[in-house]
Order: sequence, then C-alpha cells, then structure tokens
Amino acid sequence: MLIIPAIDILDGKCVRLFNGDYKRVKEYANDPVEVALKFESDGAKYLHIVDLDGAREGANINYDIIIKITNSVNIPVQVGGGIRDINSVSKYLNNGVDRLILGTSAAMDPLFLRTVLERFGSEKIIVSVDIKDEMVAINGWTNSSNLRLENFLNTIKKIGVSRIIVTDISRDGALTGPNYELVESINGFNVISAGGVSCNEDLLGFKTVEGVIVGKAMYENKVKLVKNNLAKRIIPCMDVCNGRVVKGVNFKNLRDAGDATELGKYYSESGADELIFLDITATTEGRKNLSTLVKKVSENIFIPFTVGGGIKTAEDIRELLNSGADKIAIGSEAVINPYFVKEACEQFGSQCITISLDCKKTIDSWELYINGGRVATGIDAIEFAKNMEKMGAGELLINSLDRDGMKDGFDLNLLNKMSAAVNLPIIASSGAGSKEDFLDAFKIVDACLAASLFHYGELTIYDLKKYLTKNFITTRK
Amino acid sequence: MITIIDYNSGNIASVCNALKKLGIEFKLSSNPNDVANAEKIIFPGVGRSSYSMRQLQKSGLIDVIKNCKVPFLGICLGLQLLADFSEEDNTDCLSIISGEVKKFGDDLRVPEIGWNKVFFRRSSPLFDGIEDGSYFYFVNSYYFDGEAVGTTFYGREFSSVIQKDNFYATQFHPEKSGEIGLKLLSNFCKLC
Repeated sequence: MLIIPAIDILDGKCVRLFNGDYKRVKEYANDPVEVALKFESDGAKYLHIVDLDGAREGANINYDIIIKITNSVNIPVQVGGGIRDINSVSKYLNNGVDRLILGTSAAMDPLFLRTVLERFGSEKIIVSVDIKDEMVAINGWTNSSNLRLENFLNTIKKIGVSRIIVTDISRDGALTGPNYELVESINGFNVISAGGVSCNEDLLGFKTVEGVIVGKAMYENKVKLVKNNLAKRIIPCMDVCNGRVVKGVNFKNLRDAGDATELGKYYSESGADELIFLDITATTEGRKNLSTLVKKVSENIFIPFTVGGGIKTAEDIRELLNSGADKIAIGSEAVINPYFVKEACEQFGSQCITISLDCKKTIDSWELYINGGRVATGIDAIEFAKNMEKMGAGELLINSLDRDGMKDGFDLNLLNKMSAAVNLPIIASSGAGSKEDFLDAFKIVDACLAASLFHYGELTIYDLKKYLTKNFITTRK
Repeated sequence: MITIIDYNSGNIASVCNALKKLGIEFKLSSNPNDVANAEKIIFPGVGRSSYSMRQLQKSGLIDVIKNCKVPFLGICLGLQLLADFSEEDNTDCLSIISGEVKKFGDDLRVPEIGWNKVFFRRSSPLFDGIEDGSYFYFVNSYYFDGEAVGTTFYGREFSSVIQKDNFYATQFHPEKSGEIGLKLLSNFCKLC
C-alpha cells in the first residue's frame, strides 16, 4: 500500500482545510516545493497535489508552482483541482504530471470524461469521488446529491475509469479515523483512500486499497513514512531430480524443464533475485548428484540460492553449505523434530535456515502436511510457523497444497494469517498464474516463488518487474 | 594473493567462487603467521558475533587483525566484528572502527533478507564504476551504527559500507550481489 502525502495549495502556500471549508484554513508552509522535496526525502514514492484556488475558481491558478514541484522531485505526482477542460488536462500531462484527478462534477459530464479517457488513457486519469452518507457529493463539501454511490461507480466504470480516489468528506481533516468499510467495499477499481488518517496505526486497517492519501497527519508528523528500499524478491524454483529440473502439477505428472545450471544462469541473468533448488530425489545416489549440482551452480551463479528437499541432519546442511548453497530449506524434518531447527540455527546461523511448510486448507485454518504433501500431521500450520520463529528460523517458505500447480493465484488468506502471526520474512509459493497474482501477494509478503510459469516462458521476470514497478512494488532493476 | 580468514564462521564457498570467477589467486587460512604476512585480507563471516569472537581468540587472530596494515575487507558479520560492541549476545568486538552494532526494531521483518540500495555518502575506491543507489544482497538482523561511507534504508538509515585507513567493510554480500557485487570485489582486489 502506497502512502501518498497531500500538498494542498491555496494562495501559493501549503494549507489544510477543515471539512473543505475555505474559511477554516490552517497554513503549514510557505513553499510547496520545499515541502514536496521534504516528503520525497522522507521516503514518499508518490505525491498528491491539489490546487485549492483552482478548485474554487474552476481554473488552473497554481499551475506554475505545481509544474515547479513536478520538475523538482524525482517521484511521480498526481494533480487535482480546477481541471474542467481538455486543455488543462493536456497542459498538465504534457509537462510532467503523472496522473490527473477529475472532480466529481467534472466526471458527471460523460462526454468530457469519455473524451479525456480516450485521448489520454485510463492510467492517466483518476476520478475523485466524494461521499457523504453513502451518497455522492457533487459540489465538493457543500451539497450532496440524490445519486447513490453504487450507481455513480457503475456509470464511470462503463465509461472506462479504472482508478478512483474515495473521500468520506465527513472525515477529511478531522483526524477521526478512516471509513474502512466504505473504501474496502468498492470493487472493480484501483482505490486510493483519502481522509481520516491521523496516525500510523490508522493505516493498518486498510487491506485492499492501492494507496492512502495523508494530509494533515503528515504535516503534524503523526504519520511517518518508513523508509525502506528493500526490494521484493522474485524467485524461480527448480525441482531437481538427478541433476535436472522437473516440475510436477499438483506434485504428479513430472515434466522435464531443463538443465539446472543452465536454467539457473539464465534466470540470474534475466533478473531473478534468488533461486531455489528443491531436490525431489529420494535415493542416496541422487543425493550425491545434488551436492555436485550445488557446487556447479555456485561456481557459475553469483546470486543467492537455497537448496532443500530431504534435509534431515546437520551433516546434510554442512555438506550443502560447503558446496556453496546460501540457505537450506528444511521441510518434514522440522515437523518431526522441531529441535533440529533450533540446533541448525545455532550451528549455522538463522540467516541460512528457511523452513518450508506444506499447508492445506481445513474448515477454519490450515493443516500442515509432510513427505511431499502426502501425509497429514494434524498440526495447525499457523501455530507451527510461530514455533519455528521461536526455534530461530530465518525465513518461511509457505506452500499451499490446494493451489500448487493450479495457476489461479496464491492463497492470500493463508499469507495474511502467516504474515500477521510471525515477524520473519515470508516467501509465498504455489498458485502463481499471472502478473496480478504476484501483485496481490507482494502486498502481503516479501518474496514470491514460481516454477512452471517461468520455466515455460509464460511470464518473463523482466515483464513481471516492469508491471510490479508500475504498481509501486519495489523491485531490483 | 588474497588471504581469506577461515575461522570456522559459516560458509565461505561463495567468496572463493567469486574470486575464482574474477581470476584472483587466494588461499584460506586461520594461521596467525599467514594472516600477519598476507598481502590482502578478506574477512567473511555469517553466524553469531560471540561465537565468532571466540573463534578468533582461539586461533590467536585478534591482535593480528588489529595490527593489520594491508587492505582488509570485512563482509557481513566481518563488518560487525570491526565495531566496538555488538548487542548480539552483548559482545565486545575488535574496536577497529568506532561504532556499535544494534538490532533492528520490532516494526520490521527480521532478518532483513534481500536486495537493498546502497547510497554513497563518501567517495571510496570500492565504488569505482558502480552507480550510486545500486542494489546489493543483504542478510542481517543487526546493523552498524557509526560513521558510514555508504548507507542503506531498512526502516532506518544504517551504515552498509564503512572504511577506516586500510580497513573496508560491507554489510551486504558482494559475492552474492551479481555483476555489481563482483565489480566491488574486484575494486577491492585492485587496492595496493
């Protein structure tokens, strides 16, 4: 979720209005450019700028300052206020503004709305929807209409609007907490919520929104941006059998998808952030092949890689680490003997111990499975994850037996529960079928794993990262 | 010839592989005489501070490292051990570069695992040919709080590259940071 600081400009200065009332103005700063630069250096990834004079007069009064801001910062900005005709739209967009916001009344002119969308594309246009008591408020803060929110949204959706800003105007500037139910109930749009955020805790209530605009609380330092450039990780997973990569659909019907070293090198060069090799060979002979493979991979690939599958003893771990593996994934053995995890972490360090959990949905939770998903344990997967954190594990790899090979998305409920239960980095696995699936999962977890999707070239990591970056997910270039 | 200090602290295969790839000669040693006579030293390390300090003590390496006058590169835990003190098991470290090692706050996922940006705060020969703000691979639960040559943001700004006289150190793993990481290692190897 993106935190978008708001810069409202009145008479050239940064202000906040209380409940949209131009008579109840609080001035925060004289120089909007300085404020924008400060927000950027504090870690903002996007800015929201409103020309309040423009909104009142129906003209682009603070245009020059806004363009100056746009040119001064390195992050994209969206601009609203007084945009009522095609000329204003094209003037702003041609001078570096990333997206323009049309007010509710402008959006009520279907001809104008359609023309703007056709000419500039739905990515460039946001409709701001002001809501008062579940009705659409037309003239900003003063009048509410007889138009129900649902009907208005249906109309603009048909015209092609894809992104909206939702403001519950009774809460804006009042620092009383956002109207989560309202914004989370809207489907079919990228939703940015505005209004009501008064502290960092208020941000925790949002689940599905793309972004949250924060105004007053940002100026008053009640919301702090957490600066964090850690990139989300995309991890191709290779199931290895006798030195070759295979991938099962629902753990059956294995198909050969290529040579492990070649494939690893290819992924490393095409932008993978990490690699995982899971050994599905059960024999001692195959085990020896695994060490040889790890050695070969580590001599040729200079990004981190994890090796797992059938790890049972400290000796297994030592051998693979000595062969060049960076992390070891432990599965069944962690369930059978949780203290093995503790010993392994003490001996080799938490940072190289990843615990792999095979989870299967039950009525109200998830059950842990072992032995490649063949044996149910009766253990609650969430509780087990908490225990693994206590044992010192460095990371969790969360597989869903329900989703594996289905390509209909990660089990987001499972990931949400896991993410709330532990403070460890989480790798989501099982179910990736599209770019959108990764976007959904990255709103919750730190890393995503996929296999056949990448192996068969259905999705390239380059395209995936391009898409994620566009959607404000930090990825490594 | 580079000497990699092998003090039984975690996995050094990756560092060796990276040097092999760069075509640079190296040897592994924990012998104080070898280390004292080395032309250049790489000091890797994963694992715990207290355990590693004990290993250094056992091998008689502490004074040798403190008196080192040749180019010296600490990696990851090898950076943290150069500090005065680490919150990890309340360990007194080597006191080579002034600073303390602290744990990341509870508001963050710990360990930090993954690629993060390094911003250059001072010039360093390590950065030759590398773009400011490049991504490197990190795995750490603790961070160095002290004067920095390069910094990184993970909830807070911390020192990800430090330097004093002939001592250089990175919190990230250059040997696991793809082409850019290899470039940094090769920059170190060119130091005289």
